[in-house]
Amino acid sequence: MSEAGSASENGDWESLARAASLRGADGEDQVDLLRELLSFRLDESPYAIPVERVREIVRVRKITSVPKMPSWVLGVVALRGEIVQVVDLRMRLGIPSKSTSRQSRIIVLHGDDDRITGMLVDAVDQVLRVNEDAFQNAEVSTESGAVNELCVREGEFVSIVDVDRVLELRAD
Amino acid sequence: MAARRSKAKAPAKKAPRRAAKSSARRKANREFVSEAEEILDRMREDLVDLGDQRTNGIEVDPDLVNQIFRSAHSLKGLAGMFGLDGIGKLAHHMEDILDGLRLGRIAIESPAVDLLDSAVALFTALLVDIEDPALEEKHTRDIAELIRRIDSAVEEPAPAADELAGLALDPSLLRALTEYEEHRLRENIRRGRHLALVDSTFEIIAFEEGLSELSAAIREVGEVVSTLPSPGDAPESQIRFSLLVATDMAADQLSSHLDIAGASVREVRRASQAEAVESVESTSVSGRPRDQASRPSATEAAASPPSAAQAAGREAASVDSRSATARPETAELESLRSISDTVRVDIRKLDELMNLVGELVIHRNAIESIAARLSTDASAARLAAELTKTNKQLDRKLKELQAGVLDVRMVPLRQVFEKLSRVVRRLRRDQDKNVSMDFRGADTELDKLIVEQLVDPLMHVVRNAFDHAIESPADRRAAGKPEDATIFVQAFQRGNHVVIEVRDDGGGIDRAKVRAIAESQGLVSPDDELTERETLDLIFLPGLSTRGEISETSGRGVGMDVVRANLAALGGMVEVNSVVGRGTTVSMTLPITLAIIQALIVGVAEHRFAIPLNSVLETLLLEGHEIQRSEDREILNLRGDALTLRRLSEEFELSGTRNDGKQYAVVLGMGEQRVGLLVDDLHGQQDTVIKSINGPIREIAGIAGATELGDQGVVLVIDVSYIVGESTRRMEAA
Amino acid sequence: MQRILIVEDSATMRSLLASTLEDLDAAVKITEASSGFEALRCLPREEYDLVVTDINMPDINGLELVSFLKNNDAYSKIPLVIVSTEGSDRDREKGLELGADAYLVKPFDPEVLRQVARDLLADESGAE
Repeated sequence: MSEAGSASENGDWESLARAASLRGADGEDQVDLLRELLSFRLDESPYAIPVERVREIVRVRKITSVPKMPSWVLGVVALRGEIVQVVDLRMRLGIPSKSTSRQSRIIVLHGDDDRITGMLVDAVDQVLRVNEDAFQNAEVSTESGAVNELCVREGEFVSIVDVDRVLELRAD
Repeated sequence: MAARRSKAKAPAKKAPRRAAKSSARRKANREFVSEAEEILDRMREDLVDLGDQRTNGIEVDPDLVNQIFRSAHSLKGLAGMFGLDGIGKLAHHMEDILDGLRLGRIAIESPAVDLLDSAVALFTALLVDIEDPALEEKHTRDIAELIRRIDSAVEEPAPAADELAGLALDPSLLRALTEYEEHRLRENIRRGRHLALVDSTFEIIAFEEGLSELSAAIREVGEVVSTLPSPGDAPESQIRFSLLVATDMAADQLSSHLDIAGASVREVRRASQAEAVESVESTSVSGRPRDQASRPSATEAAASPPSAAQAAGREAASVDSRSATARPETAELESLRSISDTVRVDIRKLDELMNLVGELVIHRNAIESIAARLSTDASAARLAAELTKTNKQLDRKLKELQAGVLDVRMVPLRQVFEKLSRVVRRLRRDQDKNVSMDFRGADTELDKLIVEQLVDPLMHVVRNAFDHAIESPADRRAAGKPEDATIFVQAFQRGNHVVIEVRDDGGGIDRAKVRAIAESQGLVSPDDELTERETLDLIFLPGLSTRGEISETSGRGVGMDVVRANLAALGGMVEVNSVVGRGTTVSMTLPITLAIIQALIVGVAEHRFAIPLNSVLETLLLEGHEIQRSEDREILNLRGDALTLRRLSEEFELSGTRNDGKQYAVVLGMGEQRVGLLVDDLHGQQDTVIKSINGPIREIAGIAGATELGDQGVVLVIDVSYIVGESTRRMEAA
Repeated sequence: MQRILIVEDSATMRSLLASTLEDLDAAVKITEASSGFEALRCLPREEYDLVVTDINMPDINGLELVSFLKNNDAYSKIPLVIVSTEGSDRDREKGLELGADAYLVKPFDPEVLRQVARDLLADESGAE
């Protein structure tokens, strides 16, 4: 259902012009200042990744384990005809693994090239628009090195996860 | 084969990944350039036409402007996809000019229009130097400068007082306009265009077709400002759309232009105009409403679409110039029609279709097993037989559908060859080598997806031949060869495979040198006995290939591991043959398509795996005592021959397997080699579509991909060449 | 079983809305439409208990969709939530005037959306 084509793909003039004008009218000037992030939780702590790296969010489904994989790769799932590896973000960040709950979600990420990867998180929150000023370097280099920035949101620190770092293959 | 697996493993993980990243970037740039070039070519032609209309004082053809807009838009989208922000921004500003032009905000005489040409010229320059980081800053400056000029040329006129209040429009329609649509509405009022409401009712199940037909007809003569749905007379099954339309035509003329039964057109009056609402019904009664509505002038009706200008009540001169443009417009429509029997299709859509076919196959399998279960029930036996029969017919049709979809995906290699030839022309310019290319079999067809994956490795092999294999003209003379070298690229079909050979008449590969370097790198020990072939295959080792010297002295080696990996990912293979002094041939064998294959499903503990049936020679049920030990391996007496056994549980480090008692041996064969793979259970055969596994881990040893089985979820597909190769290697090592 | 129709052209946003609404206490079935036209096609197929729509979409806009639903006897009682980046007072006013039951501005707070959805679904089942 959600895959069905829409008029925008047909590229008719009206929708193109509309899209262009919308970007021009209210997007352009703010784009440089605002960053859009998808926030989610591991335990109760907030994390976020850039929205443009998110392809979709799906519920947890049967994960087929794959032999000889690093422990942080849980296995593979089928996603509308595609087979996708699922990374346990908890383990990747050095947080002890735990069983999935009703809130658990797999965030499907765009990797480099055309590849996609699933990332298991405890719960998905919302899309944040955060002003560039609210970001700061994480300063402390963690073991995984995957959290390189923090942003303040309603008095709480949100850890910004470097997606490329999470997906980077290191010799284990 | 055996040597490459063993030595390749450890270093294989790191090196190619780095290489893959930068080569991905280069590849991306190349893709961008080739697509962008196409768009720019089209733009250039269109801008010439626009220039002609401009100098001849003809009113600008809106379709032409649309077309240029679309080109700019495509370019913007493309740049966005490839992360080229500068180009994207400039394209976006081009859109502004074109948008203004189309809305009449910018006059055709405006200097802004000249900037379109400047933009295309700048794009052209940018594409040439896209790979040169030194010029990046200059490009950024050039783009910024041009954008500044465009911005100052495309100043928005000050907004006029709100004209919307005085419109004789249902307030609910006005309320449903977004701010942008309001803006468009004002824009059209300012231009003095007529506003009309076009109502039409459709069946809900098929409204899109009818609606798009209507919208398209309107767009020929105007603009659809908004599309408001409302319930039809039979709300459960019908839907009505009210299209707010801005056009130069009066309502009656619009009505006759639309010529669509059931569409009613009514003029939307403004406060300054008469209060009355004129309504013209284009009824289905007349059948040919065009004739009826065009009654005022019979000659007009006979000619092609009623002139818009006449409706607007302009003077005769402008009518003439309009009808002058009207004719080329219809001519263009016809020519569009004649080329439209070929369709460009996004490969992803074909992938979706292919996936659908795969899923249908899974359902067909399910029906088959239901039929089988039913047939054991005496009371349902007759129905079961019919179900089986119907399922067979379904199967036949599915196969046809599959073949049809596959056929659509097939493309000739010609384009790839043309790209190669361009690259070589450039190399020839840069280097002092006279090399001619000889292409054969350009019409050989391959799956589009395979062709795309093939471009890189093939380019690599040809570049290797050019850079390293072909000697300098002086050396060639000394060796008694013609100074002009030739690289032959030949493609042909062999069974279910396509073979692409790249053959050069260069210096050939010196095996002794290859061996020496491999030894110096510790990749082989001086004691290892290698056949000629095995020595040559050393060039596929990643450790070896990263060294520059061998490629220079012996003509091969740069990135051959990457070539091999790329081809393996496609289910293909690469072989090298070489004669010192005579030349080298690299043969790449590829499956024609990534089609549905038959697989044997096996089980170990709770895990299931699929094995492509074309590699399975037979399956045996073994009692524990039949398995013998010989040193550290297990063997089986298979009709007098010793068959090496491998346990899948050990191969994949799976626990919970049955280690004694009954085991199944799946006898795998590849080339000359045979291996018996021990598993706990056999779960029958299935039609499967092998898919690559997405994710950070690119290569999983022993796994060729995965497949989705209806009832069992995702099942991994075993890479038979790995199991067989690994086993042979162990035997040789022993 | 509560049926919810989500109309949103951005795949990420659609998936996020779906994910948020899947966590209502009641059992829900979510249908995702990627455009207004698709929504129009979905509507006759199922009886929805809630529609959540974006405003800016490529074919018809969310306000037009709201207007359609509210003017159609078959759908006029379905509770409607607009979730949009168009945060201007005028758009909000328009949406509510047309009959939307709630208007949330992106980025929305998932808990708020869930609460709004719970309330609207409860109202509806109470009315029947």
